[in-house]
Amino acid sequence: MLQLERIKEGNKDILRLIGEVDASNSVLLDQSMQEILQQGATFLLIDGNQLGYISSAGLGVFMSYLDDFSEQGIRFAIFGLNDQVTEVFKILGLDRLIQIVPDKSTAITLGNEP
Amino acid sequence: MIKNSALPLGRISLFLAILVWLALLLVDLVRIFGMINNLDSGVSEEVTWILEILFFIFIYLVYRRIFWKNKQSDFLTLIWRGVSTGLFAASAGLLTEVIYLALGESKIGTDPFLRNVFYHINFALTSAFLIFTTLLWKHLILYQKNKQVVNQWQVFELSMLGALFFVFFNHNNLDYSFLFGLTILLVISILLAVNLKWIPYLNFKEKWKTLLFLFLIMGCAGVLFYRVLDSGNEGNLQINLTDNLFLMALFGFVFVYGLFSFLVTLFNLPTSSVFEQKLTEAINFQKLSQSIQPEESEEQVLDILLDSCISASFSDSAWIELNPKESFQVKNPLRFLDESTKTEIRSLLPQETQSWVPASMAEAPQAQAIRIAHANYKSALVVHLLVNKSILARIVLIKEVKEGFNKEMIGIIGTFARQACISVENHRLLNQAIENERYQEELKIAQRVQKALLPLKLDHPASFDICAYSNTADEVGGDYYDTYQVDETHFVLIMGDVSGKGTSAAFHMAQMKGVFQSLIQLGIHPAEFMNKANAALSKCLERNHFITASIFEIDTVNNSFCHARAGHIPTLWYKADKKGADFISIEGLGLGIVRNPSYKNHVQEETFEYRSGDILVLLTDGILEGRKETGEQFGYDRIKKIVEEHHQKSPIQLQQEIIDSLHQFVGGDGMIDDDYSLMVVKFK
Repeated sequence: MLQLERIKEGNKDILRLIGEVDASNSVLLDQSMQEILQQGATFLLIDGNQLGYISSAGLGVFMSYLDDFSEQGIRFAIFGLNDQVTEVFKILGLDRLIQIVPDKSTAITLGNEP
Repeated sequence: MIKNSALPLGRISLFLAILVWLALLLVDLVRIFGMINNLDSGVSEEVTWILEILFFIFIYLVYRRIFWKNKQSDFLTLIWRGVSTGLFAASAGLLTEVIYLALGESKIGTDPFLRNVFYHINFALTSAFLIFTTLLWKHLILYQKNKQVVNQWQVFELSMLGALFFVFFNHNNLDYSFLFGLTILLVISILLAVNLKWIPYLNFKEKWKTLLFLFLIMGCAGVLFYRVLDSGNEGNLQINLTDNLFLMALFGFVFVYGLFSFLVTLFNLPTSSVFEQKLTEAINFQKLSQSIQPEESEEQVLDILLDSCISASFSDSAWIELNPKESFQVKNPLRFLDESTKTEIRSLLPQETQSWVPASMAEAPQAQAIRIAHANYKSALVVHLLVNKSILARIVLIKEVKEGFNKEMIGIIGTFARQACISVENHRLLNQAIENERYQEELKIAQRVQKALLPLKLDHPASFDICAYSNTADEVGGDYYDTYQVDETHFVLIMGDVSGKGTSAAFHMAQMKGVFQSLIQLGIHPAEFMNKANAALSKCLERNHFITASIFEIDTVNNSFCHARAGHIPTLWYKADKKGADFISIEGLGLGIVRNPSYKNHVQEETFEYRSGDILVLLTDGILEGRKETGEQFGYDRIKKIVEEHHQKSPIQLQQEIIDSLHQFVGGDGMIDDDYSLMVVKFK
């Protein structure tokens, strides 16, 4: 089960993931990301406080946007992941490419840096 | 010569009947001779009666046999036989009359013996006709049997049997007892005569024929009856065979039932078209439900439906329109009208009947009768066919009269349409099932092919033991392991995991095998292998797919292995000297994530020395992420503990231990929703 909530805070788009991302629903995550980018987002945050599990297919979705983010100068960060999910990002090595931070405020300060 | 079982009963009966008749003739002639000459012939009248009764019985047996043989014949054929018997008997009677008229008062004309011979011939033919017709009526009465009718008939038969022997009691007099018996038998005949259920099954033409035949039968019966009465009144005839209750009752029965049948058939004539129509509808309905055969097409079902609707509603013209989304065509969608008239009428129909979107998902819209203002056509009926929540087609029936579609027609057409929809739906479901079966077969082939991609035999020297296991969540999966012997002392092991699962993962897994088997031949070391593999896979992986891998190059001379990890689950290393296991921590990014030369900055290799008794356990995340119902994952620590506990066991035993623990952990209600694989290496 995966629920997606989109919140707009000033120049920031926050996508909140509630539940689990697996092979069957990673398409939904991909659609949401695409919509947000098409609407010209410049600062995208993923709220993972309520994310219980992410499979490799879910990681693949984030991965596939990394080039777009760097090409279009979009700032991107994930915050609030639990230890288990953080470990999944780390093992794959994605923590070197995506800013993974403990909480929202850290994410915002990071994002405000040039 | 003749076997008992094959006795020609009919012929024997006929033979006996003729024999009895001859005996009867002889006896009567002797009696007449005696009477004329006032001599006692020594033959009492009882002999005549017995022979007469025997004659009736044999004739009955002959005809019963004939009916039994022809029980499949239709009504008209049987009735015609009755008519022909009757005509024969009546013409024989009339011929006798004519002959006697011609003979006049000549000697031969008044000869009592000759007169008696003719009388006996006429008696025989009349009896034959009456018995045959009675059996015919029986066949018709019992056409739709129920217990009551059968009982009635049995009562009638028993009464007739009684009448047969009545002559012994009454001595051939027309007294009150005779009249009483006759009245009772006539009443029973009238009661039986209401069983006329065979008539509605005749069509219009058959009814006309039946009327004619019944008329002829009654006519013959009338002529014969008149002749019987006439000859009975002749004084010069001393022997009377025909003032017999049995024979008179047969006359009564034949005439009564014949009259009833005639009148009912006559009054049924105007409504017979309705009955025929209902019969056609039933047959059409059956046709629609039978046309589910997989080899038959939906087009045929619609064709039958269109014809059925036209005949059920007596429409003047009709057409069928298919939903433009449907892939097939109906050969002749227009019936009894041309394209231009269709377009004219189409423009007169209300908009809501033109839509291809059903108003309600669950139910087909009711057939709709519409008044139209066209020069030739005044009313229309639109029927939609709803299959699987979309409109398959619509049928428009048109008539030249106003309000030409009554409630019954609309009802029956609705039923036809629903049945056709069910047929089409069944047909589609069947095809789908066949298609699904084919896909299942294809998947099985894919499974077989993929199994062949994993090595059956793992390359290894005597200095270490190795085993591996892989299981897929679906038919095919994305886990991969392999080995390669570089030379006598160098061996490469690899374990990989493609992101996602199922068919797409399986294709990428096959690519990974190709990449491994090609690059490893170049003699490159782990980090360089990952770098080149990343470059190669970047060209062929979809943008949101990646592969993780762990690679080990074992050097059996130096007792060391060089290791690199590309985003893969860390390998567990049990160290015999420390009696403990740990996951090898080394940095490395998954393959296909960074698709440019900068990848080499994200991967590293390291060389470790191993000792005898050390164990390596390579895993995929499917094992770690095996979950209980509560959501708890199998995790790193459990594997670590198992390996530490069972380190003295052989690789294959240890592997089984891990798999068993995993299954025990997730339990019946938990799940391993991913492919999972492991490889165990134990150094000697």
